[in-house]
Amino acid sequence: MTDATLRVEFAAQPAAIRVRGYWGTVGRRLRYDYVTLFFLAVILMIVFAAIAAPLIAPFDPNKTSMAFRLKPIGFRDFRLGTDELGRDMLSRLIWGGRMSLLMGLVPVVVATAIGGTLGVIAGFVGGKLNMLIMRTMDIFYAFPSVLLAIAISGMMGGGMYNGLIALSMVFIPPLCRIAETATTQVRHLDFVEAARASGASSGSIILHHVVGNVLAPVLIYASSLISVSVLLSAGLSFLGLGVEPPTPDWGLMLSTLRQAIYVQPLVCALPGAAIFITSLSFNLVSDGLRHAMDVRI
Amino acid sequence: MTSSCWHAEFKKLMWAYAGRRIIYAVPIAIGVTVICFGLVFLAPGDPMVNLLPPDASPADAAYLRKLYGFDQPVPVQYAKWLLRAVTGDLGTSLQTGRPVISEVGRALSNTIVISLGAVLLAFSLAFVLGTLAGYYAGRPADRALTAVSVVGVSVPNYWLGMVLIIVFSVELGVLPATGMGSAGSDTFSLFNWEQAKYAILPVITLSMVPLGIIMRNTRAAIAEVLANDFVQTLRAKGLPETMVIRHAVRNAFPQVLAVMGLQFGYLVGGSILIETIFTWPGTGFLLSKAILTRDIPVLQGAILVLAMCFVATNLAVDLLQTAIDPRIRRA
Amino acid sequence: MTAEFVAAAVVLAASTVALPAKAETVLRVAMTAGDIPDWTGQPDQGFEGYRFVGWSLYDALINWDLSRSDVEAGLTPGLAVKWGIDPANNKRWVFELRKDVKFHDDCKLDADLVVWNIQRLIDDKTPGFNPVQYSRHRSRSINVERAEKIDDGKVAIYTKTPDSFLPYNVSVWYMISKCAMEKANFDNALYAKAPAGTGPYKFDKVVPRERLELTKNADYWNPKRVPKHDRLVLIPMPEATTRAAALLAGQVDFIEAPSPDTIPRLKSSGMRVITLPYPHNWHYQLNFVEPPFNDVRVRRAANHALNRAEMVEMLGGIAQEGYATYPPNAKLYGNPVKYEYDPAKATALLKEAGCHPCAITFAISTSGSGQMQPLPMNELVKAQLEAVGFKVKLDVMDWNTLLDVSFKGREKYPQYNGINISRATQDPPNGLLRFVMKQQWSPNGGNWGWYENQEIEDIVAEAMRTFDDEIRDILMTKVHEIASREAIMLFVTHDLNPRALSPRVHGFVQAQSWFQDLTPITIVEGGK
Repeated sequence: MTDATLRVEFAAQPAAIRVRGYWGTVGRRLRYDYVTLFFLAVILMIVFAAIAAPLIAPFDPNKTSMAFRLKPIGFRDFRLGTDELGRDMLSRLIWGGRMSLLMGLVPVVVATAIGGTLGVIAGFVGGKLNMLIMRTMDIFYAFPSVLLAIAISGMMGGGMYNGLIALSMVFIPPLCRIAETATTQVRHLDFVEAARASGASSGSIILHHVVGNVLAPVLIYASSLISVSVLLSAGLSFLGLGVEPPTPDWGLMLSTLRQAIYVQPLVCALPGAAIFITSLSFNLVSDGLRHAMDVRI
Repeated sequence: MTSSCWHAEFKKLMWAYAGRRIIYAVPIAIGVTVICFGLVFLAPGDPMVNLLPPDASPADAAYLRKLYGFDQPVPVQYAKWLLRAVTGDLGTSLQTGRPVISEVGRALSNTIVISLGAVLLAFSLAFVLGTLAGYYAGRPADRALTAVSVVGVSVPNYWLGMVLIIVFSVELGVLPATGMGSAGSDTFSLFNWEQAKYAILPVITLSMVPLGIIMRNTRAAIAEVLANDFVQTLRAKGLPETMVIRHAVRNAFPQVLAVMGLQFGYLVGGSILIETIFTWPGTGFLLSKAILTRDIPVLQGAILVLAMCFVATNLAVDLLQTAIDPRIRRA
Repeated sequence: MTAEFVAAAVVLAASTVALPAKAETVLRVAMTAGDIPDWTGQPDQGFEGYRFVGWSLYDALINWDLSRSDVEAGLTPGLAVKWGIDPANNKRWVFELRKDVKFHDDCKLDADLVVWNIQRLIDDKTPGFNPVQYSRHRSRSINVERAEKIDDGKVAIYTKTPDSFLPYNVSVWYMISKCAMEKANFDNALYAKAPAGTGPYKFDKVVPRERLELTKNADYWNPKRVPKHDRLVLIPMPEATTRAAALLAGQVDFIEAPSPDTIPRLKSSGMRVITLPYPHNWHYQLNFVEPPFNDVRVRRAANHALNRAEMVEMLGGIAQEGYATYPPNAKLYGNPVKYEYDPAKATALLKEAGCHPCAITFAISTSGSGQMQPLPMNELVKAQLEAVGFKVKLDVMDWNTLLDVSFKGREKYPQYNGINISRATQDPPNGLLRFVMKQQWSPNGGNWGWYENQEIEDIVAEAMRTFDDEIRDILMTKVHEIASREAIMLFVTHDLNPRALSPRVHGFVQAQSWFQDLTPITIVEGGK
């Protein structure tokens, strides 16, 4: 999960990749990348299950039953068994996907918006402002991501919102740095100089050229953060710093089911497996996208 | 220009670069102290309540707050804390009354044991597997090996730790489940199997992420070297494949070593979940306790020391890497 | 090679050979505490600190009799052989000290030392005054005015107001060696390296945050309680799964509070799991000012809504159904109203009170001392309350934050209708009175939700002046019955405090108390 703040060796792509047909090429490459397509399908299934949870979950995820607690996989109608309060595991896993996806996606989206904007501004304006923004980011960079996330949410007292804030703060610096590097490199490219010379306003330069060239690396990097975010947020819940019960959440389920690991080890391992599959899928899809879009981060 | 003169010039440049990097680290370090100090003011609740039984009164808490100086204005607290921190005094733990610096120092050395173990284990495996993957880039073997590295970074390691405890400690009974040595960390020794076996499960669990990342980087580095035109030329000239691999490995090595150094930095600061699972008395364990009990001096001290270690590791890796291979200079 | 070297080598060889002949017997205990309790006097980490560290290293003037399982543990002479109220002054207690008691460092127990031990926790001018332990002990010492030497063998303790409950407070007031403190220059950190008490175990060594090692005190003043093993190792392990794994992996011999779900597995691996009622109460303290719990009908409705049998079943039978502040085996139990599970009645009461659906918010924690399995238990309570017409919001926080809510009280946290903090009910002032007396209104005491009842106030005032224990107990029983009738809490369960012992451990007698005596334990290699 430390992959989030991997030092980035970003080699700017020549503007040439923006020629017509680029997206066509990307699409063609993806179409033959069966691994990526498969895991994309897995993600779509998880997303669909999460959205349609009220319709497809066989039971109420919060309906407890002492008579049916900690039943094994395949017990009666409980396809994946039951948890320590006799709640249906399958239903809770389906509902839990909502929280895990939320905690995986929201911080990345927020951080991409904030970090990306800051990075583009720093790269485009340069000078003192660049110094100010980037040096501030460097300070946050001086903390390992896991440490920073746990320290922030731990200090704020846990809970879903604090977890979201903590994770967003962790992801802002690397995204900002990527955006800044890309912007700085693009800014000095000939076509931007040319546009500037022809009297185009800064706003339209940013809009038309810079954002277009910066977006790809930023989005690719952001996509690789989703898996990290899923793992980290589940880790926060696992430590009791994330989502609050009885909300179904994979990290939290893993943490409470740990007590029952001697009774139903397989059932107890399910939330961990769900986290693993989700994180794995996002990682592989992100890799596939990077490959197809030919962006080196 | 003679060669020796060029060398001197180069050396001068190197030193100038190193100097710049070190000076550049100073404002970062100051920023880090501000954040470490500021973090704890995010905390809801009163740090004093944990020192008292549930039936104590707020007057008792106020009394302690004054005793520990928490009633002073925040900038004053910061200035005092920083001045003491510079001299190596991080205050005393609210919970144990022991000096924070000795608590953190002890914990740090314990964390380094497993982090170093994990990163070395990961490196030795990842370098071999990554080289193979890079050599067979694009072929099925590459895909299979790359899958291993993706699993490494995708698996929730706190979950893996649980599974390992169940299998090896509880079911098979071959490895201990928790703690650091049968008589505590004081008597821990890596050279005594009875003690060293306590480190095995934490090291394996902790090595998963660096395994994935180092492998990915090795693969990329090797593949890049092999894709070079001159390698093709050498091959065309009949250079044996073992020599080609050797060449690629030699070129990729410094870069991968740097990745390993950075991973070590992450592990030292990011082992909190694993240390919690295995009750390993390192910095993560100390931190999670300090968070639970709101032991503010310990929190500030531990986070500060960890962040400083991380900055120092990065700096060291950067300088070493530049020294080995001047072409690579990180932005 | 010199002769000395040879001699040394021979001695060394002999000693290594001799060692296994008489192996040291070691009892390793995994505590639920997050850290090693303070071993320098008044412990922290709740009553667990007293249980394992306090009573091992130290004695109080009055101890607890922990030698029996069949009755609720009561007070017994400790370092004082006799005590009583001065017939001429109902604010002066006289304690007659035990003779010839020596501390682990050979310091002698005398009146001066006892007076110093009392004064050092109430008077900041006494050398050795420890602000943290002072604050920690405040709730016990607040009514103590001073101590005074009468003669070498007698000490008087003065209270500010007549206080018939003083012996309970003295029973957790440990006597530490003044000589050791003087040797450490009254520096607590130095004293921590060589602490000395009179208890059945002596301090040996500590690995901070990991383990505390104590050794047998063969010269303990009470020969019946000289430990039957040589060494006691105390290891903090807050996670229940970790404790179970450590026991199964043979790393410890004795674990506190295995979680219900691990118990079948522990039993099947040959571990002995023991349970016994003790004065513990897992409940919600309620807010008596804001609606809806200001209405006794709503409080009763909530109590009738709970299916406690189901709760006990979820807990794998390691709890008793809780219908009142005290468990039924407590001597002050009396004949309280029993809130049977009756969902129809609960709904009817709610409708009668005009609160249906009835929205309430509880502050709960994810873990904490004596909290049992807070998350699943709270979730079950929520489900059961909602089945009769409550609408329950659980506000989950960490233990520290919940303690803060508890300290500051309902006035500061009006958004909460109840808080879930389990309590020890070992002695009446802490177990009962602090929940119901006006003097204890938060933030001044434990009456979090500002309960007020003149009838109780009058009875308690009488009890404080009643120095005949039997009559006072009758009064306390009455308070308990009233508190139950008034549904001053949402009663849920009493813990049965499970412990799991490896087959190596023999002879442990579990007492009906928060405190336990480990000294009779013998270690038999290879089990039975």
